[in-house]
Amino acid sequence: MALSGMRGLSVFISDVRNCRNKEQERLRVDKELGNIRTRFKNEKGLTPYEKKKYVWKMLYIYMLGYDVDFGHMEAVSLISAPKYPEKQVGYIVTSCLLNENHDFLRLAINAVRNDIIGRNETFQCLALTLVGNIGGREFAESLAPDVQKLLISSSCRPLVRKKAALCLLRLFRKNSDILNVDGWSDRMAQLLDERDLGVLTSSVSLFVALVSNNHEAYWNCLPKCVKVMERLARNQDIPQEYTYYGIPSPWLQVKTMRALQYFPTVEDPTIRRALFEVLQRILMGTDVVKNVNKNNASHAVLFEALALVMHLDSEKEMMSQCVALLGKFIAVREPNIRYLGLENMTRMLMVTDVHEIIKRHQAQIITSLKDPDISIRRRSLDLLYGMCDVSNAKDIVEELLQYLATADFAMREELALKAAILAEKFAPDLSWYVDVILQLIDKAGDFVSDDIWFRVVQFVTNNEDLQPYAALKAREYLDKPAIHETMVKVSAYLLGEYSHLLARRPGCSPKEIFSIIHEKLPTVSTPTIPILLTTYAKILMHSQPADPELQNQIWAVYSKYESCIDAEIQQRAVEYLALSRKGEALVDILAEMPKFPERESSLIKKAEDTEADTAELSAIKLRTQQQTSNALVLTDQRPANGAPQVSQLGMVMVPSTSNVDQNTVDQRVTQSNGTLSAVDPQLPVQDHAPAGDILGDLLSPLAIEGPPSVSPQSELNGVPSYEGIPGANDALALAHVGDQESTVKPIGDIAERFHALCLKDSGVLYEDPYVQIGIKAEWRGHQGRMVLFLGNKNTAPLDSVQAIILSPSHLKSDLSLVPEVIPPRAQVQCPLEVVNLRPSRDVAVLDFSYKFGTYLVNNKLRIPAVLSKFLQPVQVSAEEFFPQWRSLPGPPLKLQEVVRGVTPMSLGEMANLFNSLRLMVCPGLDPNACNLVASSTFYSENTRGMLCLVRVETDPADRTQLRMTVASGDPTLTFELKEFIKEHLVSIPTGGKPPAPVAQQPQPTNPPIASSDPGALLAGLL
Amino acid sequence: MPVAASAIYFLNLRGDVLINRLYRDDVGGNMVDAFRLHILQTKELGTCPVRQIGGCSFFYMRISNVYIVIVVSSNANVACAFKFVVEAVNLFKSYFGGAFDEDAIRNNFVLIYELLDEIMDFGYPQNLSPEMLKLYITQEGVRSPFSSKPTDRPVPNATLQVTGAVGWRREGLVYKKNEVFLDIVESVNLLMSSKGSVLRCDVTGKILMKCFLTGMPDLKLGLNDKIGLEKESEIKSRPTKSGKTIELDDVTFHQCVNLTRFNSEKTVSFVPPDGEFELMKYRITEGVNLPFRVLPTIKELGRTRMEVNVKVKSVFGAKMFALGVVIKVPVPKQTAKTSVQVTSGRAKYNASMDCLMWKIRKFPGQTESTLSAEVELISTIAEKKSWTRPPIQMEFQVPMFTASGLRVRFLKVWEKSGYNTVEWVRYITKAGSYEIRC
Repeated sequence: MALSGMRGLSVFISDVRNCRNKEQERLRVDKELGNIRTRFKNEKGLTPYEKKKYVWKMLYIYMLGYDVDFGHMEAVSLISAPKYPEKQVGYIVTSCLLNENHDFLRLAINAVRNDIIGRNETFQCLALTLVGNIGGREFAESLAPDVQKLLISSSCRPLVRKKAALCLLRLFRKNSDILNVDGWSDRMAQLLDERDLGVLTSSVSLFVALVSNNHEAYWNCLPKCVKVMERLARNQDIPQEYTYYGIPSPWLQVKTMRALQYFPTVEDPTIRRALFEVLQRILMGTDVVKNVNKNNASHAVLFEALALVMHLDSEKEMMSQCVALLGKFIAVREPNIRYLGLENMTRMLMVTDVHEIIKRHQAQIITSLKDPDISIRRRSLDLLYGMCDVSNAKDIVEELLQYLATADFAMREELALKAAILAEKFAPDLSWYVDVILQLIDKAGDFVSDDIWFRVVQFVTNNEDLQPYAALKAREYLDKPAIHETMVKVSAYLLGEYSHLLARRPGCSPKEIFSIIHEKLPTVSTPTIPILLTTYAKILMHSQPADPELQNQIWAVYSKYESCIDAEIQQRAVEYLALSRKGEALVDILAEMPKFPERESSLIKKAEDTEADTAELSAIKLRTQQQTSNALVLTDQRPANGAPQVSQLGMVMVPSTSNVDQNTVDQRVTQSNGTLSAVDPQLPVQDHAPAGDILGDLLSPLAIEGPPSVSPQSELNGVPSYEGIPGANDALALAHVGDQESTVKPIGDIAERFHALCLKDSGVLYEDPYVQIGIKAEWRGHQGRMVLFLGNKNTAPLDSVQAIILSPSHLKSDLSLVPEVIPPRAQVQCPLEVVNLRPSRDVAVLDFSYKFGTYLVNNKLRIPAVLSKFLQPVQVSAEEFFPQWRSLPGPPLKLQEVVRGVTPMSLGEMANLFNSLRLMVCPGLDPNACNLVASSTFYSENTRGMLCLVRVETDPADRTQLRMTVASGDPTLTFELKEFIKEHLVSIPTGGKPPAPVAQQPQPTNPPIASSDPGALLAGLL
Repeated sequence: MPVAASAIYFLNLRGDVLINRLYRDDVGGNMVDAFRLHILQTKELGTCPVRQIGGCSFFYMRISNVYIVIVVSSNANVACAFKFVVEAVNLFKSYFGGAFDEDAIRNNFVLIYELLDEIMDFGYPQNLSPEMLKLYITQEGVRSPFSSKPTDRPVPNATLQVTGAVGWRREGLVYKKNEVFLDIVESVNLLMSSKGSVLRCDVTGKILMKCFLTGMPDLKLGLNDKIGLEKESEIKSRPTKSGKTIELDDVTFHQCVNLTRFNSEKTVSFVPPDGEFELMKYRITEGVNLPFRVLPTIKELGRTRMEVNVKVKSVFGAKMFALGVVIKVPVPKQTAKTSVQVTSGRAKYNASMDCLMWKIRKFPGQTESTLSAEVELISTIAEKKSWTRPPIQMEFQVPMFTASGLRVRFLKVWEKSGYNTVEWVRYITKAGSYEIRC
């Protein structure tokens, strides 16, 4: 690196390193940043060496974590430097400081492109690396063909082609349209034949991206991929430097196999056989060795091969071989390998008919549950959960229960949930299920969610045979000295419902049951108390006619809670007390709970949700979507109804004792969500469409030839026919100026007034015998504030006054309310706010109408909120002008046109015109005295300030033609500005020498539409 | 008095124990681990100084690079515990000569153990006054100013002195020349809007004394504060003299001041400790005389230029002058070039503080000085955030001026022997946070 030459930089770095603490460092860095700012702002400019040095410093500061938000211009400009050291820093700093969305990158595109198409390989590499790191959509559009050319060119060195492949990958990810599918499948196939492994590896990376996007088009590449695999794994035909610990380029193998997984199947039997041979070789050849690096590499290949084997649904023999291999893995001491073994075995579960083989390893997996490493414990839990079925459920659940006592707190909840689910799913008999869940609550009460015990209650209620057993078990647990609150809840519920079934047994009389439950009351929290109160009521009910002693005890409890602060408890106490005084009737009211309707277990649903969250690897996901028969069907449903996951989770938490059917609720929620989201996108469309149409209708005839053909006709047809049909007024509104001339004719030429207002900020917009509309405007950046002065010149009031602004899409305008009546000899002021959104020549139109007597007068007046109003003249010096001028290369940013038919005017007049169009003429910039250079800043909401540069070359011999060049940072702006200036040059009614067409002042019978000049036609119309 | 501590731990920043002392056996030995695990290594560190872990309360405080942790298992008096820590740190500082950090602790293990034994007993705080303890707990290398002749020390007096009414002063002091120095030090806090209206303004002041007096003198201080003057005029039944009276808020006194006499007679009378001490602290919120007026105008001209004009007027007496005036005029972070003109002093752009630093060494009263600067900004890539315009900050010291207008009316010294004393009074006003928005 050329750092050694830069003393200032090394001094700065050593200063920063010598700083004792963060604060000192910050002070030093801020000082340096101040220095750099001063240097960059220096008028004299910087030498390339200085620029390079300061940009390096900026990078160093940026890498230290400080915010550097200036100087990007300097960095970008270094890219186009001729020498390597400067170019290098330019590329490095640009790719560090900027990201693909920065506007500054646009400035670099051209320089980068020059380097890519240039001959210098080093520069090509720099450029490709930059694009490969931060290239965005725009880069993709403008550079893709060149990069493709580099990649497939035979004259390039592998070094460049390698980078080109990766660069193309980036561009493809940004914009997948850049690669033409048809052409590329052949080229890709060619690339896969590449001998150079570096290029091949990069190409396969690109290939993976292409195939994941559209595998159909690349069928022809499939044999090539298999061939690559054969070359690597079977023939080992690769140079020495590409073998890694004896494994031929593991990266390439993994990538190729990943690509193969994107093809649904391999149909051609020969290819299939060849592929299986390779896979077999990989499976056979992999083992656990001492060397960590070798293990990592060979296992990466192996696991990808496993994934491929699973994907291809190969024969059982191969599967069992895989499982056997994984069995070896999980028996190893090294935790990483064991983890991988377990994880892959879990993945294998998705494939059918390997369960039996995996079950052979059950003992080993259970041992892993006691591993000191938590991630291994989690994996083995997942695996156990996945491999559990009716045959081994008892063992596995018992193992899980045993493990629960010693498990990590973090894992217990998941463990409890999984154990509960397995017990429910695979219970050999129901009493076993009750045993398991009660044990579970006993051992891990804190981690047992309400769903679990709700489910037990549901089961017991629905199975009469189970009821005495469950009640007995609950009674047994209550004898324990300290039991968990959840256990209190569940046993209280069970005993309340079913204790009468035990009545014959010793210690199970209602009295004893009550006393043993009542013992727990002081120890439980508020939510449990209502359950206990209900239990008492149930006991009382079952023991009718009541034992007076027991009844008194229970009543005492109720009356104690009658004044409880908790509303739920209080209500229950009061109600139960009142009910229990009813004696026999109590039996009917508090009868046993009816059976619950059968439904899907909320637990299982919950588990599925969490499983869906941890869905993995894109390739696998893709596959599950392709094969809908797979286990994870749930993932497919979710995107279809578009429900947010949260709502489903939330619904699951609803206790299952509630009588609402969860499924329907779920669906209802999702449906309502679905429709809502479907409605949303439509709204804006409906809003916009009509508005756009109106404008289109209104403005298109205005701009093209429509009206000229209409108004002469109206002229010929005569006025009366028009006045008779008021409805036609609307349809042919634009012809109205002409129509009403018999009654109301405008004073002065409207077009001329409009043009005058384009050049100044206040004046009269329209005048007729009754009304005068004046305008006064202030412009600031992209916003403007106009005031319309509507003056009634008459002695009678004008009524039905209406003013509507029809603004084109690029203007946002807001006219305050116009009063309906203008009193005699009065003036009304209407403020009008205008915001410019983007450059456009279209003008806003004021639809102004009023009624004078019985005539309705309607005018469409153009509002002088034209393009030039959003310009802010700026004086630029030569130093600023030329770099800017040069940095905007050719179309569409810089446009040139020869304009003919210009109104002849002297250079001074033209300069005045430009100045009044807010384009600041900068004298002395152009060496040719006949030329004019002007500059200005354009403001719109989208672009903010944007510099516009204009150059006009006049021909002293022929003043009617000139050559105009317009440049700015935005293509539309350049175009619109050019057209705008052209309009003004061609048709301006200058004070001294009015051009021919407009010279015909409006005469009542002959409006100035006869002229052939389109601009004047337009002017005459309005 | 409730218990303040069951154990005290001194930890370094990594959580290693430097020194600990268990005062009661109701806390276990693994308390430090709990602290390390639940406080030091979490992001809650520094959010709340009191935490309960298990059955124990942890009060902790960081002093330079040492954590002092007090562990209590019973219902303790938190305020008392923290006051104890603060006082203990002051005590250690006076023993170690100013510094209290990890190294100081490592170098003085024995001394600290001895002090820890002395200042707390079974969890109850004991005497923490450095003057007292230095008489009895001495170490090689630490020289108390009074220990030059250890044989002179009447050891039997220890109990008497500790338990006596005037615990802060020894008897039998003799000085050839009896002198009292009294300093009134005030710092002005101001926040002013750009239009010149005062948004927040107060003065915190303290009266520092240094006494070199023989015997057991009784001092009485008179200030021109409102309560004192009113009381006086009530007693003497004559109207107060013309002149401003000051209303003092939040007055706190040194323990030597006789509070009963202050409550009944509103006079500050006391038997001073020997040497330097802080007699009282007060605050004033009304009628503050601001020493400086600042009139800033900052104009942003477009996106890359700014004009800054700042006028500073001194409004204290023409004969006085301010020293070390520093005015920090903020400028945006992307400042590239500045050109500054000032009528006095020097001004420079300081990139690391993002301000124009204007320094005036000596600023006479009733004068004004202006700074005008043109600032050029560099254009940045970031979406233009409007500059937040932080306030202008000012530092200064004005000797012989009090922003509150507080004056010492008299300082009387009575002693049995009736010697003459020389009294010295100084005033000084400093800037606290003196900020003007712009």
